Amino acid sequence: MLSRAASSLFWMARYLERAETQARLLDVSLTMALIDVPEDREEQLSVPLLVTGSREIFHELYPEITPQNLIDFMLLDDRHPASVFSVIRSARDNALHVRGNLSADVWESINLAWMELKELRHKGVTESTASRVFDWTRERSNVFRGAAYGTLLRNDAFHFLLLGTFIERADATARVLNIRHHMATKSLEGHPTQSFFEWTALLHSLAAFEAYQNTYGHNIEPMNVAELLILKPDVPRSLHACLEEIADLLEQIESGEARRARRLATSLYANIRYGDREYIAERGLNEYLTDFLQRIQRIAGQIQKDYMGWKQ
Amino acid sequence: MVMLIQTPPEGIYDELFDQNNRVRPSCRMLEDWLIRSDEALLAEKRREADVLFQRLGITFNVYGEDQGAERLIPFDLIPRVISASDWQRLQAGLRQRVHALNRFLFDIYHEFEIIRAGVISAEQVFANPQYQPGMQNLKLPRNLYSHIAGIDLIRHNDGDFYVLEDNLRCPSGVSYMLENRRMMMRLFPELFAKAPVAPVEHYPALLGETLRAASLNPNPTVVVLTPGRFNSAYFEHAFLARQMGIELVEGADLFVRRNKVYMKTTIGPQQVDVIYRRVDDNFLDPLAGNPDSMLGVPGLYAAYRTGNVVLANAMGTGVADDKAIYPFVPEMIRFYLGEEPILKNVPTWQGRKPKDLKYILDNLPDLVVKETQGAGGYGMLIGPKASKKELNHFRSLLRARPDNYIAQPTLSLSTCPTFVDEGVAPRHLDLRPFVLSGKKVQMVPGGLTRVALKEGSLVVNSSQGGGTKDTWVLEGEEC
Repeated sequence: MLSRAASSLFWMARYLERAETQARLLDVSLTMALIDVPEDREEQLSVPLLVTGSREIFHELYPEITPQNLIDFMLLDDRHPASVFSVIRSARDNALHVRGNLSADVWESINLAWMELKELRHKGVTESTASRVFDWTRERSNVFRGAAYGTLLRNDAFHFLLLGTFIERADATARVLNIRHHMATKSLEGHPTQSFFEWTALLHSLAAFEAYQNTYGHNIEPMNVAELLILKPDVPRSLHACLEEIADLLEQIESGEARRARRLATSLYANIRYGDREYIAERGLNEYLTDFLQRIQRIAGQIQKDYMGWKQ
Repeated sequence: MVMLIQTPPEGIYDELFDQNNRVRPSCRMLEDWLIRSDEALLAEKRREADVLFQRLGITFNVYGEDQGAERLIPFDLIPRVISASDWQRLQAGLRQRVHALNRFLFDIYHEFEIIRAGVISAEQVFANPQYQPGMQNLKLPRNLYSHIAGIDLIRHNDGDFYVLEDNLRCPSGVSYMLENRRMMMRLFPELFAKAPVAPVEHYPALLGETLRAASLNPNPTVVVLTPGRFNSAYFEHAFLARQMGIELVEGADLFVRRNKVYMKTTIGPQQVDVIYRRVDDNFLDPLAGNPDSMLGVPGLYAAYRTGNVVLANAMGTGVADDKAIYPFVPEMIRFYLGEEPILKNVPTWQGRKPKDLKYILDNLPDLVVKETQGAGGYGMLIGPKASKKELNHFRSLLRARPDNYIAQPTLSLSTCPTFVDEGVAPRHLDLRPFVLSGKKVQMVPGGLTRVALKEGSLVVNSSQGGGTKDTWVLEGEEC
């Protein structure tokens, strides 16, 4: 397939996945800010900014961290390139580029999301209506995924699209886990109820709360959480699950010459697949995840070079 | 029941009613439908159609408006009906005309017979800015130049169809023909169960067949070349590529090496044999045409000249659809085919002829004046609608550059009942069938019907507020 089309599909899927991540992150932070003691409220609210590395741009645009400012910034602000509005717009721009490769259902799912979002933005979102927008984002994301799985031909267009989804998801999981795990561990020194909320916030941010309870029961142990979100292959947002997909997709994608991205992905996948919690504990979660993030970014860059770059 | 708020203007041919205000036989089922429908329900259906078109993203970009401003072309629910016998004649006439035009293009790039025979002057061909001297003696498969032609027709007071304009470069609008049909079938399936409407859905298949036949390679790689998503017809380019199952490429996706064209794919370069290009001649290759063009492919022209790639349509077809050449098409048909033209031309006065120029200047308020190079309804004067100031402006333009203009009588485009804000009223329309030339000349029944939504307006172009209708060619005998 065309390199440019592969790139557009890859980015289209990354942006759509990002929209969902942003909505989940903000949703959990706003809820936590309500539960939290007032002193910690600002810390809770700034989690989405920390995770996405957007603290600076936020402070350039807004005087202070309030729920409403955060809602505007994370959901609707077109000056913020990673707001839900901006990423869905970027996703649609990319989708326009590859309309020829998309089924009518996939295209419509994205175009409809964009049309509805413009409407939502026009009306504005407040603290009391924000949860509806979070639901909407998740729903749109699910419709897109359903349309993609249900109607796309299983060719390289489909593979590049999934590749974008899983690279973005792996990246998001590692970032959220890194920051929220740190906060939750800190909270262990405080009130147990508060600590419980911190851990559930982490799990909810990655849609893994039920998965945790199913696997480990009600007691939340820091190392269990890390294990679940890194090593468990059956948790949809775990690093293991994402890397398995990525390695598998790169195996399936038709390649001309030997491809480096494939090798990098396979090696990272092997690390996780044959890794264990002791190793993670020894290395320290933060260091482990920082290293993971660097490697997943290198894989993303290499995918672009291998399949999409045509400098001549 | 749907009521007409106006009757067709005096002396104008109406597609639904005859001069005694009786419904034409071919339109009876349409009348039944309108009588049985209620206005509120149809208004609901109109809104539904708008929402669906928005969702599908069947929008176009209007030049001169904000970049990225996407608009819907208004879609009218009341179809335009063409009887089986009318269509048979139209089809024969279109085949004949496009055949002659392709013969003409071959001739003016090879033997110049028509010029030597004195039918048309050398100056009119060779001095035409659309003439591409580089195309001389270039051998093209099947001697085909305009693989895809869009012929604009109107129906005059006398009930006969006249050719208004030939579009032999990159005629657009066929996606609206297809989507309008899809929309009508979705909104009013019961209508199609009753009316014997000829299908148009196989157009992409015919187009694919035509494009493959454009190459001598038995299994060619065909692509659609688009200027990109800011082009007004981008939706159509993507739509056709997807329907044909071929790649939609932009200039930057292609490159030329050793006079062969390749596309940049995820597995490396892949050679391209046929380019269905929706980019104008001048922008195809910055090395040969406009050096600032970002839309084209450097070296494409050389590859084309070598015969390693086929362009559809060919370069240099614009000379044959130019308004200055248009008056000669009936002569071409006689000259190349030895047949009488089946379709009429609109009488045309040419500014370049002193006698014609005088007539134009004397009768300006009654005429439509067009630039020979103009397109899309820009740069034209509609005499009866023009102010004194506009008339005087055009008089000076005509005197300064008479060659640049032709004039035609103000045509009475036929009307058809159409939904407008106040209700259902007759509005003027034209017809653009799409004629495909490959191993044979083929077309799907009908074409794109464009309708001027403003009362009395004769300008049907979508860029100037025109809308579209589904076009029904009835199969078999009239019902």
